[in-house]
Amino acid sequence: MALSQLSRSLTGLLVETSSVIHQRTFSVTAVAAAIQKMSRVRVVDNSPLGTTPYHRAPRVIHVYTKNGIGKVGDRVLLAIKGQKKKALIVGHKMPGDRMTPRFDSNNVVLIEDNGNPTGTRIKVPIPTHLRNMDGDYSKILAIASSFV
Amino acid sequence: MMNIHRCKKLISPVFKSSVLLEQTGVFRSVCSALKAPCHSHHSPCLSRRFTANVSSCQRWHHVYSSQSDTKRFYSQVCSESSDSKRSAGVFQEESHEMETDSNQRPSETFSLDVLVSLLRQENAVDICVIKVPEQIKYAEYFIVVSGVSVRHLRAMALYAIKVYKFLKKKDQANVKIEGKGAEDWMCVDFGNMIVHFMLPETREVYELEKLWTLRNYDEQLKSMPVETLPEDFIYDVEVTK
Repeated sequence: MALSQLSRSLTGLLVETSSVIHQRTFSVTAVAAAIQKMSRVRVVDNSPLGTTPYHRAPRVIHVYTKNGIGKVGDRVLLAIKGQKKKALIVGHKMPGDRMTPRFDSNNVVLIEDNGNPTGTRIKVPIPTHLRNMDGDYSKILAIASSFV
Repeated sequence: MMNIHRCKKLISPVFKSSVLLEQTGVFRSVCSALKAPCHSHHSPCLSRRFTANVSSCQRWHHVYSSQSDTKRFYSQVCSESSDSKRSAGVFQEESHEMETDSNQRPSETFSLDVLVSLLRQENAVDICVIKVPEQIKYAEYFIVVSGVSVRHLRAMALYAIKVYKFLKKKDQANVKIEGKGAEDWMCVDFGNMIVHFMLPETREVYELEKLWTLRNYDEQLKSMPVETLPEDFIYDVEVTK
């Protein structure tokens, strides 16, 4: 009985072909929420704080919106390497508006308190609809190398 | 009353120092006004004015290219044939009217020429205008400007916005300064042009000109370590909506 359940869940999974195909032993649901407190994020700029490895992933500890949900363009507070740092969300796994890009990871760019980006370059594609949004996004767009 | 005084002060330097702008403005407005294109004996007079423009601004490649665009437009307009004709007297009167009219309420758009001339007038240090290639659908021109001090940057940004507000049409959106909190780096996005006002130290750190000229061959980008996925990474279920 357990084996049949297992095989049913595995067939529902789309797995990328790699050299070794890792298979889960449990079923997964797709992501439903955007970025909120305690979600792990990926820092995508070349700041020293974002690139040096640490045994804990950077986590969001506060989202600066009215509800606690962070979408693209919202500022959040991260806990990185035992310090607090502000950051800007530049992409999340949750599907947003039609004709806006959806990313495979929750991407975040580190920011100072005055709004200047901490890093100097961003390799990951940045969505261009940031430009039409209210807020100070021109600096992030200026250091981005590719747009989506 | 203060407003009028400030506005007058605004118009006169911008227009006195950039005579060629006025000429191009008149030229364009005359072109658009002449729905039926011109006589053959008017064309030498207009082309004479145009060659004066070209010779005075041959320093900038992109400005020159914009001039050549207008010339192409003009020749297209002239080559069309039409029924209605305009007399010489009307044409002269019209151009004279345009000039007096533009002294009070300018009919030009806030273009790259206007912006750069006002930046020069404000003694901006190291004006760098980069023409963004067509594939990057961000803007047409990317401008980086340095200033002497924080107050200088703020003054330049505010003056640029003031001139834009004065010259914009009714349907164009207002422009705001981004990054007012950061004193050393301010940004203004004018739709097709983006201006960054930075202090020289900040400019050294970010090197925006290098990034925007050598797009993917930038040094800082190359020195970033290549990201690899961890070995036990499993891709998630595809989300379709």
